[in-house]
Amino acid sequence: MNGFLIVNGLSGLLIVSSLLVTLAGNPANSARFYALQSFILVMLFVALAGATGSGELYLWSFTALLTKVILVPAIMYRAFRRLSDPAIGTGAVMPTALSIVGAAVALILCFVVASKVTLPAADAIKPALAVSLALFFIGLACIVAQRNILKQVFGYCLMENGSHLTLALLAPNAPELVEIGIATDAIFAVVVMAALGSRIFDTLHTLDARQLTSLKG
Amino acid sequence: MTAMVPSILPPLLLIGPLAVALFLLTLPWFRESLPEAFATDTGSVTLLERIHLGSIGYVFLLSIAALIQVLSNGAISAFGDWLFVDALGAVFMMLIGVVGLMTGLYSIAYIRHDLESGAIDAGKVRIYYGFFSLFLFTMLLAVTANNIIMMWAAIEATTLGSAFLVGLYGQKSSLEAAWKYVIICTVGVAFGLYGTVLVFSNAADVLADPHQAVLWTALVGHAAELDPMLVKLAFVFALIGFGTKAGIFPMHAWLPDAHSEAPSPVSGLLSGVLLKCALLIVIRFYVITVGTVGAGFPQMLLLTLGLLSVGVSSLLFFVQQDLKRKLAYSSIENVGLIVVALGVGGPLGIAAALLHAINHSVTKALFFCSAGNVLMKYGTRDLRAVKGVLRVAPATGLLMMGCALALAGFPPFNIFVSEFMVFMAGLNEGYGWIMALCALFLCITIAGLVKIVADSVLGKSPETMAKGDVGWKALAPLGVLAVLVLTLGFAVPQPLSTLVQQATTVVMNGDSRPVVAAPWQTYDTVRAGGQLVTGSLSQTEISK
Amino acid sequence: MITLPTEPLGLLALAAILVPFGGAAAIAASERASAKWLCQGFAAATVAVIAILAMSLLGDGKVGGTYELISFGSVSILGLVVDSVSVLIALAVIAIGLLVAVYSAAYLNAGNREHPDIGRRRYYAFLLVFIGAMTGLVFSSTVVGQLAFFELTGACSWALIGYYESPKALRSAAKALLVTHVASLGLYVAAALLFLSTGTFALTAIADLAPGMKAAVLLAILVAAWGKSAQLPFHMWLPDAMEAPTPVSAYLHAASMVKVGVYIFARGLMSAGGAPEIVGWVGSIMAVLTLVYGFFMYLPQVDLKRLLAYSTITQLAYILLALSLSVFGSDLAFKGAIAHIFNHAFAKTLFFLVAGALSYTAGTRLLPSLRGIVTKSPLLGVAFVCAALAITGVPPFNGFFSKFAIFAGGFEVGAHHWALMVLVVIALAESVGSFAWFLKWLGHSVPGKPSTTMAAAAPLPAGMKFVLVALMAMTVVSSSIAASWLG
Repeated sequence: MNGFLIVNGLSGLLIVSSLLVTLAGNPANSARFYALQSFILVMLFVALAGATGSGELYLWSFTALLTKVILVPAIMYRAFRRLSDPAIGTGAVMPTALSIVGAAVALILCFVVASKVTLPAADAIKPALAVSLALFFIGLACIVAQRNILKQVFGYCLMENGSHLTLALLAPNAPELVEIGIATDAIFAVVVMAALGSRIFDTLHTLDARQLTSLKG
Repeated sequence: MTAMVPSILPPLLLIGPLAVALFLLTLPWFRESLPEAFATDTGSVTLLERIHLGSIGYVFLLSIAALIQVLSNGAISAFGDWLFVDALGAVFMMLIGVVGLMTGLYSIAYIRHDLESGAIDAGKVRIYYGFFSLFLFTMLLAVTANNIIMMWAAIEATTLGSAFLVGLYGQKSSLEAAWKYVIICTVGVAFGLYGTVLVFSNAADVLADPHQAVLWTALVGHAAELDPMLVKLAFVFALIGFGTKAGIFPMHAWLPDAHSEAPSPVSGLLSGVLLKCALLIVIRFYVITVGTVGAGFPQMLLLTLGLLSVGVSSLLFFVQQDLKRKLAYSSIENVGLIVVALGVGGPLGIAAALLHAINHSVTKALFFCSAGNVLMKYGTRDLRAVKGVLRVAPATGLLMMGCALALAGFPPFNIFVSEFMVFMAGLNEGYGWIMALCALFLCITIAGLVKIVADSVLGKSPETMAKGDVGWKALAPLGVLAVLVLTLGFAVPQPLSTLVQQATTVVMNGDSRPVVAAPWQTYDTVRAGGQLVTGSLSQTEISK
Repeated sequence: MITLPTEPLGLLALAAILVPFGGAAAIAASERASAKWLCQGFAAATVAVIAILAMSLLGDGKVGGTYELISFGSVSILGLVVDSVSVLIALAVIAIGLLVAVYSAAYLNAGNREHPDIGRRRYYAFLLVFIGAMTGLVFSSTVVGQLAFFELTGACSWALIGYYESPKALRSAAKALLVTHVASLGLYVAAALLFLSTGTFALTAIADLAPGMKAAVLLAILVAAWGKSAQLPFHMWLPDAMEAPTPVSAYLHAASMVKVGVYIFARGLMSAGGAPEIVGWVGSIMAVLTLVYGFFMYLPQVDLKRLLAYSTITQLAYILLALSLSVFGSDLAFKGAIAHIFNHAFAKTLFFLVAGALSYTAGTRLLPSLRGIVTKSPLLGVAFVCAALAITGVPPFNGFFSKFAIFAGGFEVGAHHWALMVLVVIALAESVGSFAWFLKWLGHSVPGKPSTTMAAAAPLPAGMKFVLVALMAMTVVSSSIAASWLG
């Protein structure tokens, strides 16, 4: 039971760290916060592995450590460090306070949805399940409410962390290949987005999504 | 589920294009060791073309071989059932093989033209052919995956594989299109991942062996034991996710940009095949959902989104001035119609949806490639500047007129056959009003198509324009597609109708066999006491 | 399974459909210079085929039959119905097709004062396809066959109306295509309903339907018929279609396109074995509304072709009125309708070709500037008179006889329904009114001293003369052909 308590507690930290990623001043800082969040996620996996006795989850936490804590943040940090577009500032469309309120509302809604799930495996970890869903939507909001295209990439990463967490919570015994598949795909996605983002910056000298408006209708 | 026959074909099919893609994308390291004839720019382009031809030919032949095996043996599988091809997957695999071959052949003339006009350099040619094969590989993976996580990964990979093709020209607009494409689709497909994870976690709880829970075939077998709330949620997520990729309204925003900015053969491939592959995944989730919560809920969603897609896109189609953007909206509309047919349901509806997917695939690939010819001749896609195609390039003009009539649903072209079938299915299931609305929206599309022909294909050509069509290398593959469009309009060939019937059986998860044919071809019906058992034909009668 | 008919009647009917298509393919494969000769040759060959078919049918005692082309199991998918009605109409379709082909060769050249042209292959090929599609529609024994040929005629008319490629012509062409396509949805509905409730597309299956369903199918066909026959509320495409080259207008108005509508309705009623009265009420009320509308639209027209367009709308309304009246049990009205399809075909072709000849020689078709036609060109003047009198139904011209049958049938059923009687009386009043109106223009344009435009007119080419004379003869005798043929 204690193990699940840790899991639920850590999941709370995930929300905080996702807000940090979203609200950070520049993409490089976002990359740092993202590494932090992924680290919390790995801790959560370890705690969950202890609580459920799932051998696969230990393996997962290890691969997640490699990919999410080290590889992906490193790629983004390297790619985004040299790109900066002072014209857009933080790029946030909404004021910070409103974003936090929005995240809170999303969390409450997700609690409502999670409480309706009747799966026996989900009983002990409903708060964490709600967090995983909320994480997904915070990521979505980060993409929709961001003008900086590089920060939009982090939105995707948050969404992906959210679904990853759901998977771990609901199916701790999933074959490790499944997990590796998801992780590799995410790396490729980040690489492709980073490459495209750099090309856009090189060609158009902007990172502002609102400047990308030559195609309409 | 029927037993699956192990076969070497699915992995063989996948490995070819993957190997070619990896080889081509890492080619510069080998450049120095190439024979002298290929070490120059033009020489290396020739070499690239040969490798590309080998790749598309390989995919075509093996997909046909696998298709034949599926038709004779039922579903085939490999790698502990992680890969499998059933009749449903075979429909889409065949599309990748055929349309991939034709657009691939067309690419050769098209890319040469781009190279000569300076739109791209020799390095880009390598990128193009490399990603072309990679794109084919990712789509093949999506349609041969039985592992639902792999299905998702493959769809995600199709985005990543084709993003560079969309942004190939490196201009402001193409980069913008590529960016929107990647962001909207990865975010969309992230929804798909969430839906996939929900289904999987649910099944992992229910099934004894979690390794089975990841297999679609196992999920369909145990669909009734899943949690209805979770499955509903998962279907919504999957529909949003994979629907984004399929271009269903309101998640379609990326599609007109990507389809218009990509090189024309790729537009044909995106519109003709990629959208359909994403639809396949939607169909796979639909089958699971129907098994768990019945057909009412998913059909209601599909009908709503499908009708909205048809309606909105028909209006947007009409107002566009950019030829390829127009065609992109028409793709949204046709996908919408396929979704409506799925939502109508019943064996006839499902079969109509599949047949329409096939027909639209061939027709739209042809239309996009014809638009490519226009682009080669006129250097613009702006319909206000493109005039008198028939006089400047008679063969292209004729193809465009044929395409426009075909897309408008006139007999004897193929779209008429499947649209008529959709219509019949709708009336049969009591959706008369929805069908009437669709028919009216289609009339708006026809107006738009007629406008293309009247304003751009006919009429006087600009005086400065040199007469003469594009070369035979560009026209030959289009000729083949045109023959397909016409042939499928006259009659649905026996093997194809068998395939669609079997695929419908997979979707219906039962043994209903709709009649797949042009209305003048082979409709047979069973009359039971004056009451029609619609579109179903019992086994005994087929053997007769 | 595809089965080729083995009996001569079926083979001939199939040949009558396929020969024009073959001709179109031949034109596409040959040089521009030979296109007009190929077109005339193939059209003539088709006339020969249909003539032999008519003779054979007569020899068989007009029994005819249905010949399946494509079927599966016991279900007919595409088939040919050869009977006295289909052969009579096909005869008009093909014969007028030939006359139009001959006339076109003389019309589409540099000597044309209104539209100098070189006579492209596209024109002749589509004209032949049009003949073939129209013949196919007439002989179709299934709704699907009708639907396919219905759409094909729409596509042909689109290509031909837009032939001059002026923006206005292209817009009119698109309008014709779209409006008739919207109406064709009725045929889609009819096909689907018929198939879903009987499991076959054969028209004869309409007879097996329950009354409610039968009414639904027939009304759906009626909607499609309104579209093609330019009846309210789908009338707007026809006057605009005047942008077509005049021989095409003649063919559209007389023998094809607009006749598709009335024919499919007639065929539907024939196959229904007694239709529900609601079909008759809807059909006749709409027909009379169209009649009145068409008449009032005569008044402001000064362009001869536009005047003729509204005249076509009213004449087709007569046919639909007659067909609707036949629902109430008047066989005479039905025969009158079929005869009127046949008679109107020749009269209207003549009138259009007169208009075409005027614009070819004088360069205008505006009635106020055309005076003294008969003084300048006696042949054209006489043809104008024949056409006008035939259209308005003056004896001894053909229009009189078929209209007489229609009104006789109308009074027959009107005796039992006062409301029908009202409709018939309105129609009769319209008939008188339109006679007066045509007489006004006749008196204005034909006799007297030639106006300056007319005086400067060029001589008429021989091809046109031949066609006009042939048609004038037909305006007198076609009615007796139809009467003796229909018995």
